Order: sequence, then structure tokens, then C-alpha cells
Amino acid sequence: MSRLRAWLFEPAPLARVALLRFAVYVFVVLDVLALHTSGWYHGFASPVWYEPLEAGRLLHLPAASVLLVELLKWGSVAGALVAMTGRFPRASGWVVALSWSWYQYVAFSYGKVDHDRADFVVALLLLPTVGMAHLSDRRLSEAAGFALRSVQLAAIATYLLSAVAKLRFGGPGWVNSATLVRAVVRRGTPFGRLFLETPWLLHAMQWLIVAAELLSWTIFLLPDRWRRLMVLGWYLFHAGVYATITIAFWPHLVMMLAFLPLEQYRDRLVERWRRRSVAVPEVV
Amino acid sequence: MAGGGVGLLREPTQRSGRGDEQVLRLGASARAWRTLLLLALTVGFVAGSLVGQDTWWPFSPWRMFSTSTPPSGAVVAMAVEVRTAGETRWRPADLTPASIGLNRAEVEGRVPQIQSEPERLGTLALAHARLEPRSPRWTAVRLVRRESVLLDRRPTGEVRSTVLARWEAP
Repeated sequence: MSRLRAWLFEPAPLARVALLRFAVYVFVVLDVLALHTSGWYHGFASPVWYEPLEAGRLLHLPAASVLLVELLKWGSVAGALVAMTGRFPRASGWVVALSWSWYQYVAFSYGKVDHDRADFVVALLLLPTVGMAHLSDRRLSEAAGFALRSVQLAAIATYLLSAVAKLRFGGPGWVNSATLVRAVVRRGTPFGRLFLETPWLLHAMQWLIVAAELLSWTIFLLPDRWRRLMVLGWYLFHAGVYATITIAFWPHLVMMLAFLPLEQYRDRLVERWRRRSVAVPEVV
Repeated sequence: MAGGGVGLLREPTQRSGRGDEQVLRLGASARAWRTLLLLALTVGFVAGSLVGQDTWWPFSPWRMFSTSTPPSGAVVAMAVEVRTAGETRWRPADLTPASIGLNRAEVEGRVPQIQSEPERLGTLALAHARLEPRSPRWTAVRLVRRESVLLDRRPTGEVRSTVLARWEAP
């Protein structure tokens, strides 16, 4: 038990949380303005299409209106811009958590729930709990470690629970079904359609996907270097999915950054850039 | 991988002065509520995956592409076709939020409702007029089901179309 506690609260650099937060809030702005805007359009759809989800029933959330979607959209943007500056991290972070989640709710209560966005709610809820974190703050913090660990756990849970969903809805026969063929027929890119010529490859991919999802938790047992390779592997997988059927789990991709030593990458890039631009002689 | 060849994957440089890095610890209550919150989220996500439905969002199951499609059969996709005043031929409309306020999956999720109340298709024409006020008004909208036939994981090229519902402006 105490080992689990030590693992959950393993101190991490505050600068890493600051960088991850910056990435998360940049993403929020891009997301509500450009990537996932169906919530906004629901402000224009007739309320007859509104079907409240459980959360909406519980909280008596109304059907979307143009005013509501504008408020949620610009609330997300304003909160994210303040949060990016690093000021008022809790207040701004929770404004974003509330408006972004509600905006997603509006997007999902018109008949189609996207299945890739729920883990981001965890990131938006937990990153503000760290409080002040400066980009150059090298101190280690248990609060930072916990927030990062939670984001990692949520991100990996999506893989494991996707396998659970395949078993539950598709049955054990999912691996031998033609689900990827269906996906390519319905929304394949010209590149993706090439795979219709080699259906066995799509079939093999289904086995590989389930195996990778079921083993995804092993990332927590791996040494640093292998952990980063595994993250790279997942990024390549998502790039492949995007190239074939133009589906990308954008918020999830941002969350996977929680596995990387972001402040070290940043330092290395800055150092390299300095050397190149200033061209100072090497000082020992 | 060659030693340190790929920048992002290189071993992190261990800082020698690890000892002078200050560690900010959390108190017992700060740890307790965080643990409880994480536990609650875990219960929510696991329960959602085991017994929940889409309506449980954000605790809905992660069911993207989780259904099984038989290797021989048909892949179904819905289409919406429209006509403007004076047009005699039906043409496919964009099933995107920017065009009708809804996307294809949202329309596909409401097929029975549309069939029992075809006037729902009229609200799509209205939403389109609000979103694209400069383009000509749709005077008729119909919902078409397209089935692409699969034989042993390969599309045969045959596509069957069926009109499921139809609305005409009064």
C-alpha cells in the first residue's frame, strides 16, 4: 500500500507540469475554435434533436442555444489564455474544465457521443490542483507528480477499456470480424482504400490492436527509455489511423505527453538553439 | 537505436546536483482528497465500461469501432439528399455540422425517429438556411440508406440504395 502511495505521489518537476499545462491549454483553444466545433453548430440545430445525457438529466442542462454555445466556446478560450500565462492556475483551470466539458456535452447530446474525449476531462480537472508552477521551476513536487500520474493513468485506461468495450460490444469474435474494412469503406482516405486490396492486413491489424490495448498497462513497468519508445509507438499508431480513416483522438494525443520529460526536451532545444544562433565559443 | 541518435528518445541527462533540488511534499489531507478523487474517477470509468452506455459520458464506454462486422454482408452508411426549387434531380448534401448542424453519425442515430416523423428532415433544411443563408433553400430532403456489399472482407463494388424517409416543403 505504501509503495502504491509512493508511486502515485512520486515527486515530479513543476516545470514539467507547467509545460504540459501550456500544451493542454493551447490545445483547448485550437480544439474549440477549429478541431471539434460540432457543439457550436448544435446551437443552430432545432431542439427536437436534443437528447439529454445522464449528466444533463441530473443537472437539468437545457438544449443548446446560440448564446450558450458562444458562452462555452469563448469561456474555454478566455480561461485557456489566462491559464497559459501561468497566473491564477486554479481559477482559470477550472473555468476551462467546466466550459470545455459542457461544450463537449452539448456536442454529444444530439445523438452521437465521441468516444475519445472523456479522458481529457481528467487532465483538465487535475492539472489545476498543482497550483502555481513556473516553466523554470526545477523543484520537485508531489502534487505535480500526482497530477502527471493521473493523466498517464487516464490515457492508458482508454486503451485498456477500449479492449474491454470490444469484448463487451463486439464479442471475442471482434478480432476476426471485418470492422476495419467497414471503417475504411465508410470513411477511408485514398491511402486507406489501398488496404481494401489487402484485407488480410486489416484483419491482422485487429489482432495487433487488441494485443497492444490489453498490454498497454505494461508501460508503467518499463524503464524510462522503453517507456518513451512505447509512447512513440502509440503516436505512430495514431498517425496511421489518421492517414487511413482521418480519425484522430486529439485530446488523448496531448495527454500522452505526460509520459515525457518535457522540461528536458525544452532545455535541450533551447541549448541547441542558443549554440547555433549566438555561436559562442565553447566554454568549459 | 544508435546512442543518442534520436534527440527525443535519448536518455535524460542526470543532473549531478540532485540533492539540491527541493521536494515539495503534500500533507495528509491533500493526499487523502486526491486519492479519493482518483478512486472516484476510476470507479466511474470502470463501471461505465462494464455496464454503462453512451449516455454516461464522460464515463461512457470507450467503444470506438468496438462492434463486429461480419466479413460477408453489407456496410451501411446513411446519406441525405436534397433538392432546391426548380431542381428535378436529387443531390447528396454534406452531412456535416457546418451544413446541417448535425453530423452523419447523429443522423444515423435517429433513423427510427426520422422515419416516424419525416418532417424532422425539414428542420435540416431550416438549419442549413441559417448556416448558409446565401445558398438556395432546400425544398425537399430525403434520407437514403446505402449498403456496400462485402464478400469475404472485400467490397464487391455493389451499392444498394433505399429511400427511408422524405420531406417536401409545404
